[in-house]
Amino acid sequence: MARLEIEGLCKGWDFPVIDRLDLTVEEGEFFVVVGPSGIGKTTLLRLVAGLERPDAGTIRVGERDITALPPYRRKVAMTFESYALYPHLSVFENIASPLRARGMAKAKIEETVIGVAKLLRIEQLLNRRPGEISGGQKQRTALGRTLVAEPDVFLLDEPISHLDAKIRHELRLQFHTLEELRSVATLYVTHDYAEALSLGDRIGVMGNGGLLQVGTAREIFQQPQHLFVAQHLGQPSINVVEASLSRADGSLQFTAEAGSLALPVAGPHSETLAAHKAGRITVGIRPQHVQVAKAGAETNGAAVVEAKVEIFEALGATGILMAESGGVKLMALTPPDAEFQHGEPVKLALRNEAFLYFDADSGRNVMIG
Amino acid sequence: MSRSNYGLVKYLFLAFMGLWLLITLFPFYWQIITALKSAAETNRTIPTFWPEVLHPENFVAVFAEASNFNALVDSFIIATGNTLASLFLGTLAGYAFARFPRQAGGENMAFWVLSNRMFPPVAVVLPMFFLFDATPWGTDSHITLIILYLVFNMPLATWLMMVFFRDAPRELEEAAYLDGYTPLRAFFKVTLPLVLPGMISVAMLCWIFAWNEYLFANLLVGTNVRTFTIVIPTFTHGSQTLWNLQMAFSLIAMLPPVILFILLRRYMVRGLSLGVVKG
Repeated sequence: MARLEIEGLCKGWDFPVIDRLDLTVEEGEFFVVVGPSGIGKTTLLRLVAGLERPDAGTIRVGERDITALPPYRRKVAMTFESYALYPHLSVFENIASPLRARGMAKAKIEETVIGVAKLLRIEQLLNRRPGEISGGQKQRTALGRTLVAEPDVFLLDEPISHLDAKIRHELRLQFHTLEELRSVATLYVTHDYAEALSLGDRIGVMGNGGLLQVGTAREIFQQPQHLFVAQHLGQPSINVVEASLSRADGSLQFTAEAGSLALPVAGPHSETLAAHKAGRITVGIRPQHVQVAKAGAETNGAAVVEAKVEIFEALGATGILMAESGGVKLMALTPPDAEFQHGEPVKLALRNEAFLYFDADSGRNVMIG
Repeated sequence: MSRSNYGLVKYLFLAFMGLWLLITLFPFYWQIITALKSAAETNRTIPTFWPEVLHPENFVAVFAEASNFNALVDSFIIATGNTLASLFLGTLAGYAFARFPRQAGGENMAFWVLSNRMFPPVAVVLPMFFLFDATPWGTDSHITLIILYLVFNMPLATWLMMVFFRDAPRELEEAAYLDGYTPLRAFFKVTLPLVLPGMISVAMLCWIFAWNEYLFANLLVGTNVRTFTIVIPTFTHGSQTLWNLQMAFSLIAMLPPVILFILLRRYMVRGLSLGVVKG
């Protein structure tokens, strides 16, 4: 049992995929790396697993430098996105594989495998082949194989992304409660932000070959340091408005570059933004901070605009509405019983004190140093 | 197409297939009835389509000369020895081409291996004779043909095994590494079982080729070692051909490959269903 330390890790083929990445996962910590497809998340795991050789950097587990060790000597276990179960072996033999590699006694293997199978509720499947079980069961088998290995580091590559929603949720809950996973350093990779926010003790958002922000779920959701982070977390994703700052009646406001939408900047933000040299700014508005009201209804608040409904999706527990106002399209979340028609005029009340402001060039959050 | 036309096409198709069957099965029929005829009956100007008297003792008579049975044994040793060697080398080479193409010499090297089969074999008969003559065991031994047939069977085994290894997901090997297996152990634990059905098909192809080979056997061996293929022509004497014995002997020689196929077919079918399991 030990912490995982990654320092200055680089890996590229024709172009750099991972560029000077630093990361420490404490013993017992569940660290989730989230990022869009093709950003290098799997490459990161394969580097830690030893399936790829880094171009530069070091990987340490506790005091051991494992950078140059082959995978079979690293004491690292990994589940693959495709599960990578051995098709010619039974579920039992698949789970027993790491124990057989170690030459464990037969009786002990049986005891261990059955123990893990019970934990994952697949004990009735032990005699089946991977081809004869469902996707969720395959995932449990793959998980079982990594659990029995008792490694120093767990690597989980999109373990539940390809399952249907119900089983995904069930397995997600299981990840919360598995003692074995919660007692060593775990690196979990996913493109699903909800999974990341739900599971991670800490979360790292990956982009540009490194981790753009590392923090707790609350930190990275509420205070994204980078536009990329804000865009990647949240469903529906954040509204992004390219705008220019100006003063009207002594107070600061911004006007969308794509149209005529103009909104006042909330008091607490004004000071920082006034100091921001460039007049151009990227504004992030989370859909849950946009309230939708019928055209005639009373609304209060500093930032109310007229809009027209373009798309409305009623999703049961909530609704997603896309409206157009002054040439800018904005997404909003609506209450479950709300009903809107295409082309219907509405009012949008925006909570401007919750807006996020990013530098138009670098994408950095200008509210955070 | 109208209904009656469809029926007509169907009957034409059946007629064609029937004719085809007749053409392909006739030689077997002729082989069998000839093997059961007397020598005199085989040489009639007007052939008979069914033996007047059945002579099953022909199948025993072919072994009057003990060396005829030894020829089957020699063929068996050579075919099996060559198949094992082809599989061993072809599997290793195929694995290298599939997993480490750059280190193994890439596409060009793989093509060179295959190109050895494009050569007209008769062109190298004489050099081969002198080459093997210079070895301690000489030309007239099992090992000569076992090695020589590698020229044809190893490229085949290499290429087919290469394709099978390419189809075997690399991730399974990687999973085995992470389970704690060294590359060699992972190969035997995961990869080899996956390609085993393919390997059995390759083995059958190699074995049948080596079993049936005539040209090189005829020119290189003949005294210490005789394959059955060079025994068959010996039933032709100066003045006459013992057609009945020749056919009886070749029927017996057909049995081993047929039995082999029936025995191994089960594994091949099982292998096919294994292949559809997604990793």
